Amino acid sequence: MSSKEFFVNRYEQMGWNFQDASPKQAIRINTSNAKGKNLESRLAAGGVQLKKIPFLEQGYWVQRSKVSVGATAEYLLGLYSIQEAAAQIPATVFTDLKDKMVLDACAAPGGKTVQLADLMSNTGAIVALDVEKQRLAALSNHLERCHIGNAVVYNRDARQASGLKLKFDRILLDVPCSGNFTSDQAWFTRRTIKDVERNAKVQREILTEAIKCLQDSGEIVYSTCSLEPEEDELNMDWATKNLNLRIENVDCHGQEGLTDVFGQRLDNSIRHCRRVWPGETQGFFVCKLVKRRNSN
Amino acid sequence: MTKPITDFATRVNAKFVLDPRLVVEREGRYYLLNKKLQGIARKDFFYAGKYLGKAKDPKFFPSFNLLTMLAETKANKVIIDEKAAWLFICGRDIFSNKITAVHGSKRKGDHTLVFNKFGECLGFGRITGNLDAKEGAAVVKNISDVGDFLRREG
Repeated sequence: MSSKEFFVNRYEQMGWNFQDASPKQAIRINTSNAKGKNLESRLAAGGVQLKKIPFLEQGYWVQRSKVSVGATAEYLLGLYSIQEAAAQIPATVFTDLKDKMVLDACAAPGGKTVQLADLMSNTGAIVALDVEKQRLAALSNHLERCHIGNAVVYNRDARQASGLKLKFDRILLDVPCSGNFTSDQAWFTRRTIKDVERNAKVQREILTEAIKCLQDSGEIVYSTCSLEPEEDELNMDWATKNLNLRIENVDCHGQEGLTDVFGQRLDNSIRHCRRVWPGETQGFFVCKLVKRRNSN
Repeated sequence: MTKPITDFATRVNAKFVLDPRLVVEREGRYYLLNKKLQGIARKDFFYAGKYLGKAKDPKFFPSFNLLTMLAETKANKVIIDEKAAWLFICGRDIFSNKITAVHGSKRKGDHTLVFNKFGECLGFGRITGNLDAKEGAAVVKNISDVGDFLRREG
């Protein structure tokens, strides 16, 4: 059995019939910078035709464009960011971000950090970490271009976040993952189930560390662009059983999380997660976690 | 501590006040931190708050955050038309016949902020000729423009 057959067979067992997908290019308007600037009209005048993404408040598909949307004056001035549609979901799942202490634990290249800052109206503070130093330049450029003023960036492994000795109201864990075939044509030949299991282990380590930094009343949003349940529902099931966390229902795009994975019955609350199969967007998974009330 | 920044502000004739207690320097890079960030930023940060620019003796390279802050003050400004705005962010100099308005100094050698028709600061340059000249000659030399974000990626 080829690697592709192996994974496609798994997707079918999870209820999705494999189909090739090429996600549409999407942008997200940075409201703090674009307020009152009539951005849609300006881009239209420059030959960029947008269409509102129905499930995102600030997201637009790029329907047609005569120019690269990464090279317009409006982009360079930070009025919008290029951000895949499904990747725009996690930051919107938090409740009430204004004036909060927020940890973006795996932040580079910074699309979600900028989105968090925008949702916070540049109030509060964001601590953004990334383990790969060479990716921090892209993150910093992104913050400068979009005039973000409430973030501090460290070259640090998310698994050492508690060393900062800070407590956070909101923690975004957009964890390193195996990815999916929509953003990598060679995905099926490059990836094995061992990669998936290795990533799932790192993700559990990141989750374990994040709890140490979370305020009792805080929220964690966990997301991946992996379709593999080991990195998604199975990890969330593990978190509910081992980290004194519970899953909160999120009202966003996507299907319910799977509660039966390859014959394994998971906690019923896993249905509150959201799984996005590839189509107009890439594949994605998102879940909101909070501490149980009896948590120490 | 803030001298390279205030010196640059003076060069574009900006009335700019910066609380030195909120400015942090790391390896020649200057950052403006709000009070909340000051309370949590450790010495080993990579980037924090608003990046203001980089000093590399004897020069200071202002960030686009700083230019945007200066743009909100009474500083030297030229406003250029749409086509010239595009050419400017591609690194080109400004021709006199593309300037639609000038505020502040017109003196050769002075620095000026450059704006598009929407009032957005695209960068800055040095005045090299008569800004009022009818014939199209290069009169503002491009020193820095927002197209730099693209060039950094390359």
